[in-house]
Amino acid sequence: MSSIYGEYDKILEIIKNEIQNRIINYTNQEYQKTGMKIYEHLIARVKTSESMCEKCRRKGFPETPETALKIMRDSIGIRIVCSFIDDIYANINYIKSFPDCRVLEEKDYIKHAKSNGYRSYHMILEIETAYPDIQGNSPGKYFVEIQLRTIAMDSWASLEHKLKYKKHIENQELIVSELKRCADELAACDVSMQTIRTLIQNS
Amino acid sequence: MRLLLAEDEKELSRALTAILQHSKYAVDAVYDGQAAVEQAGNNAYDAMIFDIMMPKLDGIQALKQIRASGNYTPVLLLTAKSEIDDRVTGLDAGADDYLTKPFAMKELLARIRSMIRRAADYSPKVMKIGSVTLDTEEQSVSCENSIRLASKETRMLEFFMTNPGKSISTEELFRHIWGTADPVDQKIVFMYVSFLNSKLSAINADISITGDSDYILETRSSQP
Repeated sequence: MSSIYGEYDKILEIIKNEIQNRIINYTNQEYQKTGMKIYEHLIARVKTSESMCEKCRRKGFPETPETALKIMRDSIGIRIVCSFIDDIYANINYIKSFPDCRVLEEKDYIKHAKSNGYRSYHMILEIETAYPDIQGNSPGKYFVEIQLRTIAMDSWASLEHKLKYKKHIENQELIVSELKRCADELAACDVSMQTIRTLIQNS
Repeated sequence: MRLLLAEDEKELSRALTAILQHSKYAVDAVYDGQAAVEQAGNNAYDAMIFDIMMPKLDGIQALKQIRASGNYTPVLLLTAKSEIDDRVTGLDAGADDYLTKPFAMKELLARIRSMIRRAADYSPKVMKIGSVTLDTEEQSVSCENSIRLASKETRMLEFFMTNPGKSISTEELFRHIWGTADPVDQKIVFMYVSFLNSKLSAINADISITGDSDYILETRSSQP
């Protein structure tokens, strides 16, 4: 079965690797300077053809390369997981300095947590590349979705995601509010750890 | 611990002040009800002792004004033996206890200790200042987001929210939250103020604690 991205799947890989390498190099430079990494770990992926097809179907779009590359904006996804909250904003500032990228959308679910307690920072970038895109633009334009979180936010999101599969459970409301309580407790730890680090750095 | 004493009989006031200070309380003495309301508005007290019969405002009128301003600091009323109605109106106006004159100093000290001990149970479970809500039972503070608090953070924020806009010293905070016997370094006060400020900022609160050894809970007029 051929990819929904058609001939562009290789370009997506190249762009993904390019952005990923910039972030890796950035943290390595900072590590040389301060002995501290700016992120804890990072995951970069091109959304599989199967999940992209499924998403197009779910949203009512034709399963074509045009939809996958120009309507959906998460064909390339990078998740940066940081130790401390301030590191998230350091990475954001660095990403915003890319001369070939434009930030199309930003959602700060850290300062404005979702009602279920979800916390994370989302960005959609548009990158100009030397490679052509499906609309024949040169330089070609591609979307990159970036999510930034702390380890605690990441662990909450991944555990909550695992629970979601069982829908229509008893006591739904109670469980949602208890999950939110867990998110608020983890957020409390993140904020306290950040404060302790700041106090140590300032003393 | 800091006490406000409102007693218009100068002799009795002097004697009470001396004994309370001997028991390690800091005492602010005033001699009429109007001054008591003003002092209660300016400073954070652990407990207040009001005589009922006082010039300008009597003890009950002063107490009513203080409670109406949202101040739930424990109050003990001193009454004369014949004033049964005063005791009833006093308790209904928000007094926590009363003592009939003449009284034994020992009993006054015991009642102050008891009142301060129970203060946590008397204070409201949910408090609100600006757009910020503190739920002391849930140990959580919320504005746009909500976040959990540690037990000492909850008590500290409760103390600040009971006394908004008043300057509270490191010493007072330390005594109120850690108690006098605790050998912990007072630098911990600064640390907990930092924790609270970070958490208030994490929920986008419109209040924050300012200062560096005397602290004030302030409402910010506009959010950045």
